[in-house]
Amino acid sequence: MKLVWDWRFARVYDDNQRVIDECVWSGNQTPVALAERLALLMEGRMTTEARTLADRFPECIVTPSTSVNSWPDLESHESTLLQEASLQLAGRNVADSASNPDFRLEHLVRATEEMRTAHNTLESRIVEWAGLFLPKLDLDLNRNQIAAAVTGSENLQETAEHLDTTSAGVEVGKKEWSGIHSLASSTVNLAADVERMEDSIRELSSIHLPSLSLLLGPLLAAKLCTTAHGRERLARLPASTIQVLGAETAFFMHMRQGTPPPKHGHIFQHPWICRSPKWTRGSIARMLAAKAAIAVRVDHFGGETWTSKQISEIEQKVGEIRARKSRR
Amino acid sequence: MKSFSERVEIRGRSLWSRNAVKGVSLRGERLKRDGRKEWRQWNPRASKLGAALIKASETGLLPEPGSMCLYLGSGHGTSISHLHDHMCGAKNHLGGVIVAVDISSRCIRDMIRLSKARPGKVPVMADCRHTEHILPFLSKKVPWLFQDVSQSGQVEMFIEACNNFLAPNGTGLLSLKSASERDTQGAFDYAEKSLKDAGLTLIERIDLAGWEDQHVLFHVVC
Repeated sequence: MKLVWDWRFARVYDDNQRVIDECVWSGNQTPVALAERLALLMEGRMTTEARTLADRFPECIVTPSTSVNSWPDLESHESTLLQEASLQLAGRNVADSASNPDFRLEHLVRATEEMRTAHNTLESRIVEWAGLFLPKLDLDLNRNQIAAAVTGSENLQETAEHLDTTSAGVEVGKKEWSGIHSLASSTVNLAADVERMEDSIRELSSIHLPSLSLLLGPLLAAKLCTTAHGRERLARLPASTIQVLGAETAFFMHMRQGTPPPKHGHIFQHPWICRSPKWTRGSIARMLAAKAAIAVRVDHFGGETWTSKQISEIEQKVGEIRARKSRR
Repeated sequence: MKSFSERVEIRGRSLWSRNAVKGVSLRGERLKRDGRKEWRQWNPRASKLGAALIKASETGLLPEPGSMCLYLGSGHGTSISHLHDHMCGAKNHLGGVIVAVDISSRCIRDMIRLSKARPGKVPVMADCRHTEHILPFLSKKVPWLFQDVSQSGQVEMFIEACNNFLAPNGTGLLSLKSASERDTQGAFDYAEKSLKDAGLTLIERIDLAGWEDQHVLFHVVC
């Protein structure tokens, strides 16, 4: 015997494909009610009708309706109802995706990267432009002060005073000065915006990836999560992949042309790796990636969030690796 | 002139479908008046189904008007809108149903907007790999199935979908992008072999070169 159902009704067929029992959806047939039902069915759950029949015939084998040839076609009013309900459900699903922290984190991380790139471009332009009028200034040393100095002054002489240097004495028109000034103030504002965005990433990342954020720092955790296309996927990646996430170019060069494999991807930004002697980095990256893989699994599959206890144990291991490697 | 149905035909060098929503061009396609009918140009560069219709030598690519069909990987709904012109017509007087599945909320939101003006579409936000997510919207096997998902393992997904959802003698179309597979070179031959091994009858292997590079559309019958 077979138990078959869809959103309209449930049926029990005997071995000769005859209908023995049937239970029809008698509820209020509105698009909203049907959307609820479809959501239930998508989760792989039974309708109430199906459960009634399953109780009546416990020995039935559950069979999908598509494998029954004589299953009735949709009538036209049923088809209209299904369309309206599917619009409801799809609309709800689209709205639900706004609550997905992965999507929000991705926009935050990418937007921050783009703003940082823009800031670097603007900053190097204002340094060269303002530097043209300040010939005695060391542009490399004062790189970070120039934009702020221009923003806080009314003309080139004042800027020069701010920076303890002399101006070239070239007459600059009012409009040209306002161009320089607005570029400088955009640069300064953009730097502040990047800071604010990073604070926001820290906040979201510490909630979405608490253990991983504690281990790697929230910014790096968010970056890994975005590169892996979501927490779920990151949690399913092997540690060896996490180790080289962000070093795709080097990794595929290694696969195709046999160049040396990359030792670390984004994870290099962690001070335990980038501040360690070069010959220890590969080992530390491997260990840290393995711990990161565990941490993200703890976060995703609802484990007990890590505390500073686990982190200090790992830090101790980093110290051991450094000590072991330095003896050689 | 070559006609695929009353609502889809090739005139000169371009493909046209009869516009179900008069006066509305979705993505800036050309509209053409012909007495009381209005035709909408079907851009083969934006739609692999359109490209296949132009390049195919066998017939039977399009579903019967007024039937039910499953479209996996609906994207932003360009192809679907022409399919709708063909299967449903104005205000769905032909009674067709197109179940359009996509995983991306960005695409589904566009589909929802389009579905309001074009009754007959059932947008579903789901992963095509999950049979149980699609099943509730179908109830019965369908006579026409199209898959364009551009991800690794798409041939296996297509075979699985045909086994689960395609009615006997139904038409299955698989749009395959070789760059989505690990083995770029052997992707098409591998796909052809897998489809045959799975017991599907291969009608035609349509190379979409010229319209869509590195793409092949497999036309099979269950």
